Amino acid sequence: MANAATRLDRWLGPLNGPQTMGRGVPFWLCFIAAVVVLAIAPNFLSRYDIINFSNFLISGLLALSLGLIWGYCGILSLGQASFFGLGGYAYGVVAMNLLRAHGNTDVAFVAGILIPVAFAAVIGAILFYARLRGVYVAILMLVISLVIGTFLRQTADPSYTIGAAYLGGMNGLRPTSPDDPLLPSLIFGFGDWVAEFDGRSVSFYHLVLAIVVAVYLGLRCVVNSTYGFLLVGVREEPERTETFGYDVRLIQLSVFCLAAAIAGLSGVLYTAWGTYIHPDGFGVAQNILVVIWVAVGGRKDLLAALLGALVLNWISLRLASEGEFALLVMGAILVGVMLLAPEGLAIAIGNRLGRLFGHGAKVGQPAVRTEEG
Amino acid sequence: MDTFALIFGYAYQYFDNVGFLVLSASGLIIIFGMMGVINMAHGELMMIGAYITAFSYYAGVPAPIAVIFAGVGAGLVGMVLERLVIRYFYKQLLSSLVVTWGLSLMFSQGFLLIFGPSILNLPTPFGGFPISEQTFGSYRLVLFGCALALVAGIWALFTFTRFGTQARATMEDPAMADALGINTRQVYSLTFGLGCALGGIAGGLFAMTATISPFFGVNYTPLAFITVVIGGGANAITGLIASALALAGVQTVVVNAFNQYVGYISMMAAAFLILLALPRGISDYLERRKLRAVRASRPSPHG
Repeated sequence: MANAATRLDRWLGPLNGPQTMGRGVPFWLCFIAAVVVLAIAPNFLSRYDIINFSNFLISGLLALSLGLIWGYCGILSLGQASFFGLGGYAYGVVAMNLLRAHGNTDVAFVAGILIPVAFAAVIGAILFYARLRGVYVAILMLVISLVIGTFLRQTADPSYTIGAAYLGGMNGLRPTSPDDPLLPSLIFGFGDWVAEFDGRSVSFYHLVLAIVVAVYLGLRCVVNSTYGFLLVGVREEPERTETFGYDVRLIQLSVFCLAAAIAGLSGVLYTAWGTYIHPDGFGVAQNILVVIWVAVGGRKDLLAALLGALVLNWISLRLASEGEFALLVMGAILVGVMLLAPEGLAIAIGNRLGRLFGHGAKVGQPAVRTEEG
Repeated sequence: MDTFALIFGYAYQYFDNVGFLVLSASGLIIIFGMMGVINMAHGELMMIGAYITAFSYYAGVPAPIAVIFAGVGAGLVGMVLERLVIRYFYKQLLSSLVVTWGLSLMFSQGFLLIFGPSILNLPTPFGGFPISEQTFGSYRLVLFGCALALVAGIWALFTFTRFGTQARATMEDPAMADALGINTRQVYSLTFGLGCALGGIAGGLFAMTATISPFFGVNYTPLAFITVVIGGGANAITGLIASALALAGVQTVVVNAFNQYVGYISMMAAAFLILLALPRGISDYLERRKLRAVRASRPSPHG
């Protein structure tokens, strides 16, 4: 038994570490069980539920991207949805232009990830190399997101076209002329092999689930690697990290770009899911929701941020059928959690469970509260 | 059009913009400078001020009194918030940012539930005056006057009154101020209330030029934040004035050369450039220069 446990440890080596909650056998068994349950969920849930679940998982990706920079590296971005929106628009514009010629959305998928990364690289280089204070970075990101949203909102004029794609102002992205293709769902093609994932289908849900699991596991490896320890070093003690010879600005910039890639991916999937993207993706509500998911779940753990997004999205959907107060409740939940469990609910519960199973170490340590000032 | 009218037109726009920025950012920058908290719910306090003004006005209260009601109302809301929530987040910039953003969401959504998405309008008082074929609204000048009066009032409050001295002492060194018998909790509470009251007054004043809805605050928040960010927290008043003068200049020139949206973008760009040069804001730079000048004029103690 002890032998098996050591072998498992070696197997899971890169995934496990002090930066993430859950590393024992019980945790991984639960994790696998949860993934299996989610994977077979379409067998006993309605089509409507599955369509919504796809969207929840897409939100989960966005939460992972903010959790990575805010929780691990201490970079709060109040405009994380801007990368989400940019990814969505980039995917839509490229897909509508290349669909006829290529028959697939491969290039659009990649563009939807790389364009937000390029944007993050430019913005991040300015913000981090100027050594701006964290609070200014947070606010400027929000302002940037609002500015992009304002720009897109006033693109109703028919002259705002990029090839076959018309930006369409408040109505969202649409074809330039009736002959041009509509915004497509994901179509992957490789030679003669073509796989289409309609946003309303079970196969799309499975694709999104696989992507979310892959991104989560990949990020676990990242944050538990040497690089991950550097991220936490930058969060806790930027000056000391610098003294040890690391370029704090480069670390911040690189993780910012990685987070932008994940947010862009989330935007791509969202656009493909609804075949629709709209300037409201850059608005205050979208941006604040990401922060709420991550803060309520717990920013210092990837799974906590992911769970925060899934559970709060589910609550929002439930509330939406009762009236217009979902956002009000989200705001109240945020304030309540910030007061009662500042580290986040999932982390508070996780630490409790950890103590129950005899693991002393807590996530998010050292407990010394350092806030960049 | 003759030259005088042209110059007057630009000056009018410039001071209108300065007044706008000073009014919308004054409460925010005081709270930031004094307490190290950026209040993301500032726009919503302006919205509350606008609603109070509108309802009082339609209940027959004269407009100036209605604006004062707005200040008192928003100030009281602010003091309650400080007691219940904000005081747990002093000097924690990022957490306070997030929690006040949550409050702002609660306010705008709460007002949306209560009052619905319909908009309210107030008449703009004072009419206008003509200068060679063009008519200028007098109320914009009144707004600029109010901005000046508020800044002067804040300065006098923090310079001459007992509360001001205590507040500055608390800002400088809370532990020492506490040891000297200053009730620092009360000072924080009052300062936060004051910042919110200024927001309420600004909201009340803007209520007469803009449409009032639960999302009133969103129109002011981004620019107010940029003004505060550039101004910096080292000295609220000089920071506020300097950044409003600078940003309004950029805005006036670019809006006239291009359009409103490019003007908005250019203010963002200007904010970036100023922050690149002065990462802690204009007021920090001015304070340090003042300090250096004082040190230079004083003979060195080591002789």
